[in-house]
Amino acid sequence: MNSRQPVLSARGLRKEYGRGAALVRAVNDVSLEVAPGESVAIVGPSGCGKSTLLYLLGGLERPTAGTLELAQHRIEQMPETGLARLRRRALGFVFQAFHLVDELTALENVELPALLSGVSPRKARERAAQLLEQVGLEDRAEHLPSALSGGQRQRVAIARALANGPAVVLADEPTGNLDSSATTEVLRLFEQLHADGQTLVVVTHDERIAATADRLISMRDGRFVDETRLTGGSARSLTEMAGLKG
Amino acid sequence: MGRLLLVSRLVVGDIKRRRTQSALLLLMIVTTTTTLTIGLTLHKVTDSPFARTRAATRGPDIVAEVVPPPGPSPEVARDFAPLVHARGVASTSGPYPVASARLTAGGIDVPVQAQGRDARPAAIDRPAVTAGKWVSPGGAVIERGFADALGLAVGDTIHLNGRRFRVAGIAVSTAQCFYPVSTPGVIWLTRDDAGALATRMQPLGYVLNVRLADPSSPQAFENGNAAYAFGNDTNNDVTSFMTSWQDIRQSDFKVVSVDQKVLLIVSTLLALLAIASIAVVVGSRMAEQTRRVGLLKAVGATPLLVATVLLAENLVLALAATAVGVIAGQVVTPVLTNLGNGLLGSAPTPPLTVTLVAEVVIVAMLVAGCATIVPAIRGARTSTTRALNDPVHPPRRRPVLIAFSARLPVPLLLAVRLVARRVRRSLLTVASMTIAVTMVVAALTLEHNVDVHDRHDVASGVIGASSVADRVTHLVFLLSAILIVLAAINAIFTTWATVIDAQRPTALARALGATPRQITAGLTSSQLMPALLAACLGIPLGLALYQLAGGHVSEASPPVLWLLAVIPGTLIAVAVLTAIPARIGARRPVADVLRSE
Repeated sequence: MNSRQPVLSARGLRKEYGRGAALVRAVNDVSLEVAPGESVAIVGPSGCGKSTLLYLLGGLERPTAGTLELAQHRIEQMPETGLARLRRRALGFVFQAFHLVDELTALENVELPALLSGVSPRKARERAAQLLEQVGLEDRAEHLPSALSGGQRQRVAIARALANGPAVVLADEPTGNLDSSATTEVLRLFEQLHADGQTLVVVTHDERIAATADRLISMRDGRFVDETRLTGGSARSLTEMAGLKG
Repeated sequence: MGRLLLVSRLVVGDIKRRRTQSALLLLMIVTTTTTLTIGLTLHKVTDSPFARTRAATRGPDIVAEVVPPPGPSPEVARDFAPLVHARGVASTSGPYPVASARLTAGGIDVPVQAQGRDARPAAIDRPAVTAGKWVSPGGAVIERGFADALGLAVGDTIHLNGRRFRVAGIAVSTAQCFYPVSTPGVIWLTRDDAGALATRMQPLGYVLNVRLADPSSPQAFENGNAAYAFGNDTNNDVTSFMTSWQDIRQSDFKVVSVDQKVLLIVSTLLALLAIASIAVVVGSRMAEQTRRVGLLKAVGATPLLVATVLLAENLVLALAATAVGVIAGQVVTPVLTNLGNGLLGSAPTPPLTVTLVAEVVIVAMLVAGCATIVPAIRGARTSTTRALNDPVHPPRRRPVLIAFSARLPVPLLLAVRLVARRVRRSLLTVASMTIAVTMVVAALTLEHNVDVHDRHDVASGVIGASSVADRVTHLVFLLSAILIVLAAINAIFTTWATVIDAQRPTALARALGATPRQITAGLTSSQLMPALLAACLGIPLGLALYQLAGGHVSEASPPVLWLLAVIPGTLIAVAVLTAIPARIGARRPVADVLRSE
């Protein structure tokens, strides 16, 4: 892959719900390019369409119009099966509600994407253990999600998002359900991922997270209304930029 | 008044909102109450056709017969003398001549007993003509079970020992068992026609119908001196014997009791299947109801009001189902207990007794109570916030199954984990499918046995002897069809319940890269696993059921290939039934599911 080519790009993206007078344009003519290793934060008030945009970028929803390219593959018309296969290797998701499987341990949750990709159980387990270590939860590997704090659950979810070494990690309000201490844990993790060159697209209304990105895009009523390239980017400590110590 | 209105509105609103689920629960309770009604009324109906036929035909209390040995015909009618004037005999009719002959007609060639009768009705045993007319010269009347077995109707031509006769009528009688309980079959002719059939080697026998002063104790009469004298009057090697009306009823009842046994076993299986289905439906309702309890509490409802709403809703469904079930049971029972052509009519509609209705209502109330108590108690014990937010019935962790599934292909990995999430539901699925497979195997075994007996009967020159078995076979197949339909509905509903329950994990699996096909295959396989177990259990259980119902597996066990074919057959049927709900579940937009959490 050419390192200068965007890993994720959208042109004229639109998503509509309803018809006639009830028509709602959740995403309206949005264009975006994300370079490899770049961290992009999309901010805006609740209901402005940022989560819908993230689901569109991840191929979890189909756009009404526009084009989408992920890892050099056009995905807006791609059949579900092809899309699922591409998602396995190119995308990692982090959700606000964590979406961990309740009856699986932290380790089993993290190895799940690798197993779904057909990786051998032994390799999947090794990779999951390594990722849990990376997020600082090696001692919680055998714990069920119900036995973990909110911050720990989200760190497990982040480890799971990295299981197949994705080209892009899409995060939907990753700190939305966390207190400030847990937010710090997650911010540190994103900082580390960014420093390692992981491409990140984070949807948030938390300005502290937004401040850590290379690029900040503001969204309102389904449209991009402002875009700011943050000068510090990954050169500075993300937690420091966000005003969080600790 | 305001509270009553509120409860009514909540009940109606919820039933409307969950129409399919409510309809399914209604269907399951209807099935239970119907089968219960059938089961409870069965034992009351089996005696009626015999009693009615006996009354209509003035059936004898004792039938005395003498059969001469082959050779020159002696005058054997005088052998009845000790009986006619014996103490305890109220009246007699006969003796009537009986000729052993061969009936031929259109490829049929069977032995018959041709009884000579007067044209006017006898005082005792006047067979009830159900079609055509009574005997006339050249006109034969055929016992109804025999006519049905041979496929003969009024107007047909038959030959008796080569002599041509016209079928003048069809009749029923309780002076002997109906065909094929008693063989050879019975035909009534005029005395002259019957006498003409006698040959040197097959001389006439005689039959005397006896009415006793005390019909309730024919056994005492048979053991008396006069009967002893009759039975031991060995004049020229004549064989003489007596049969009481109770013996005849008992023999007829043996056939009837096969039906009854089959019906009782199958109705028990139906009830078990319905209970398994109800458990699945009620179980999934409970999960939703607990959330509803949280919602009602959040808007200020007291635990008592919440319990009242739940109870009222389930009672409405249970009472409606009870009414439908009792009526359906009343309608279906006589259809299922049409006790053979040898007797008059089918069983009457059993009366609706208070006890019967009370028993059915109690079962329905129990179902409603169970469906109410658990969510009501859970709701009362759970905090409002938790009832609203948390998964009501969190899945259990099964570490061994989870570790094992990691080694399997993706669809099987998903299937094993789905089964592991709700083991109890899977066990209920196993139970319901096992019941259906058991019935199918029993029906196949019966069918095979009937085939074997048919071949044997044809080889022995007896035609139509399997008509009772045929009737039982039809009954078994009819009931099997009902069971299979119910099991199919249950399989579809269980799959749907699994789809709903597994919405989040399957949506998550798709977000993590599982394809819709893998999810569909996983959901379907999660039903195929219990189906496989059910098929393996159902084969031996089906054979055992057949044995229990009075069959002999050792006599004509169906070919092993037939039995083995049940396994892929079950799997294919379940795969077809569950594929559509599984596919719908796998295609649900991922974003909608994940966002709704």
